[in-house]
Amino acid sequence: MWFSSQSWRQVTQEIPDGPIRRYVVDPKPDPATPLTEAKMLAVDLETTGLDPKTDQILSIGFVPLDGLDINLAGAGRMLVRPTGGVGDSARIHGLTDDALADARAPEAALDLLFTALQGRVLLAHHAAIETGFLGMTCNAIHGFRPRFTVVDTLSLQFRLLSQGFDDEPPQGSLRLWNARSQYGLPRYAAHDALTDALACGELYLAQVAELQAKSLRQLTLKAVLKY
Amino acid sequence: MDVELREIRDFLSSHPPYNVLPDQLLDQLPARMHLRYFRRGTTIVELNKPNNSLFILRSGAVDVYREGRDLVERADPGTSFGTSSVLSHTPSKYRIVAIEDSLVLVMPGDVFQYLLNKVSEFADYFNTANSTVMKRAVAQLENDTSGRIILKTRVSDLLKREPITASENITIRQAAKLMTEHKVSALLIAEGTKIRGIVTDRDLRSKVVAADLSREEPITAIMTRNPVTIPRNALAFEAMLEMLGRGVHHLPVVDDDKLIGLVSSGDLMRLETANPVFLVGDITKQSSPEGLAKVSSRLPMLVAQLIDQDASASEIHRLVTAVSDATIHRLLQLAEAEQGAPPVPYEWLVLGSQGRYEHGLGSDQDHVLLLDDAATAEDDPYFATLAEYVTAGMEACGYPRCTGGVMATNPRWRQTAKAWHGDFQHWMGEPDSAAVLHAQIFFDFRSVHGGSARADALRDTIRKLAPKSPRFLGHLAAQAVERQPPIGFFRGFVVERGGRPQATFDLKSAVHCVVELVRVISLANSVSAVNTVERLRSVSAAGAMTADSESSLLDAFELITYLRLRHQARQVSAGIPPDNLVSPDDLSSLEKKHLRDAFGIIKRAQAGFAYRYQTHLMS
Repeated sequence: MWFSSQSWRQVTQEIPDGPIRRYVVDPKPDPATPLTEAKMLAVDLETTGLDPKTDQILSIGFVPLDGLDINLAGAGRMLVRPTGGVGDSARIHGLTDDALADARAPEAALDLLFTALQGRVLLAHHAAIETGFLGMTCNAIHGFRPRFTVVDTLSLQFRLLSQGFDDEPPQGSLRLWNARSQYGLPRYAAHDALTDALACGELYLAQVAELQAKSLRQLTLKAVLKY
Repeated sequence: MDVELREIRDFLSSHPPYNVLPDQLLDQLPARMHLRYFRRGTTIVELNKPNNSLFILRSGAVDVYREGRDLVERADPGTSFGTSSVLSHTPSKYRIVAIEDSLVLVMPGDVFQYLLNKVSEFADYFNTANSTVMKRAVAQLENDTSGRIILKTRVSDLLKREPITASENITIRQAAKLMTEHKVSALLIAEGTKIRGIVTDRDLRSKVVAADLSREEPITAIMTRNPVTIPRNALAFEAMLEMLGRGVHHLPVVDDDKLIGLVSSGDLMRLETANPVFLVGDITKQSSPEGLAKVSSRLPMLVAQLIDQDASASEIHRLVTAVSDATIHRLLQLAEAEQGAPPVPYEWLVLGSQGRYEHGLGSDQDHVLLLDDAATAEDDPYFATLAEYVTAGMEACGYPRCTGGVMATNPRWRQTAKAWHGDFQHWMGEPDSAAVLHAQIFFDFRSVHGGSARADALRDTIRKLAPKSPRFLGHLAAQAVERQPPIGFFRGFVVERGGRPQATFDLKSAVHCVVELVRVISLANSVSAVNTVERLRSVSAAGAMTADSESSLLDAFELITYLRLRHQARQVSAGIPPDNLVSPDDLSSLEKKHLRDAFGIIKRAQAGFAYRYQTHLMS
């Protein structure tokens, strides 16, 4: 692990120039930024399984948010070429080995994602999957894991549902599609990385509206960041 | 990289007007848009603030208030709003508020403008001021098909050449020679453009050859004097009804009493014959009320058929009215045959929708008796019996009795011409609002039996007095304005003014919004027509309404009356008695949009015209 043997400064000096290096060396978003101005990138990954150590990324979808406005012009989805076969998860995502033949190498896919992530907070539902897989993939290629600034809509949902109750939220209520239905957000038929990233971005807007309604002062990034 | 936002593309393509965009534009559209979220209670567009975006409701619900007060629309997902401020580049005249948590797609003004310029069908959707939108809606409802030419063709379209005429002082021989030369079966006898008589092949056979009359006799000896004529703008099927009703085969065609041509039954036969005509023919042949009831039972299915054949509402109304007119006419003939000749001449007046040539299925009876001034109290039993005979006969034919008692069976509405003049003068001169509300349908009278000299005189009195009766017009206007069309539709409900949702809405009430408004404008402008469409044309021709207003009101009226007839025809086909209550679920989303536009047109017309007459009263 990089932090045990090298200083952060040394690590950054060794990263080749490119989108990942820029993401790492640029200043992190200021937690005092009002949410109406905070820039985010809603990200969703589709993977061969849940364990970053053994599973691989199949596709990456992302949608940028400028403050509380989802800018669909920046939306994208790319397939990532896995090493080895797709296996069982093809049944879930409809991605077959054939489709994946057009996919990008993990290195190129990461470059594209980090270009989109420049200057933005990573927004995801159950973000541990995204940060885990992205960190592991980056580590495999470049030998280090970037530190992400993250907002997690699952954590926000947990907070919103737990407020004023001693109990934990009911089981299943935190899942992306259940959380969305609590805000009357539309159901989506498709299940792919881009649709899920969009779904996460929309959920975030609804959650912020709810949090803001309960708060007397204007919310800043600090109120939603995951530490 | 794949940027296809399929969910948003599919959402757009399933809602008008985005469904008319070509695939290539639709594919690119989502990536030009933004998404925003509005918590319930928050304002999406502020009143009097500039707005440069078009909004499309993705989920939730919003209310649109004009000037921040008047609820004009409650929008479902798929509805576009904010258009007027984008199009006009002026501050918003509306305040738009999320009433539920709402996700909204935002299209920048320049993208919207690009689509408007690029796809005219898309632009039409937003152009409610332009009546071509409504015209197209009506045209879509009435897709052109064949098989109803007789309902579409005007008598004037049948005139192929100048009429063959001769003066009154020619002999029978000269007339026969002229007819042979021109290969015609009828010769018109005229002085200049004034029709005097008509001679036909049949006259030559029966009155000359068979009767052994000299060929040197003047033509006046055998001609039919002052024959029945038909106006040039009458429909071909009306000409056919006239021929069937009178047993003639030729009708001189006139334009304001000026002879311009001749139509023959042969001309009409060459048009495709539609069944409705034969129904009227059959009615005139019946010899008992039972027979009439049996023949009349064909009418609802016939209307359903005409809807299938895409006849327009105004054509179908004329047909249904022709059938009910013929039924009354025949019942009166049968009654007179039973009771003997009437003690004094009389005219049978139909009122309300039948008077306006707007009879629909399930419409009730409204009629009165106009008696010659020589009538006395002793004559009343005859007319009481006559009225009951006709009313009962009509009831058996499927026309319910008037619940308000406005029928000739009511002694109050059996009176002399003099008494009628008195009533109308009273209504116009000393109106109280309840009396005027009650009396409105009387102003749509039309004689269907016994000639129309007395009815015409009555109409002249009204034409003279009405424009000079501001209080009367004021009351009518106040009533016309009070009847408000709904605002629109929301989640399968009708949104009425005041915001309370209803499961159905009353098409009859929507029809009457137009009828009452047009009636008051007509009365104020001495228009003698009773049919709403003709009244609209006349007030516009008289300069009392702009051509634009006329044409958009005509379209709105046609749309609403068409949907009503279609609703009733569907009920009849399903074996349900026809009514006027339609559920939004029975309408397509485009029909709902067009209806909402029609309601808007009516509301604007109400504000513009009725207020004008109302102010006379209130000041």
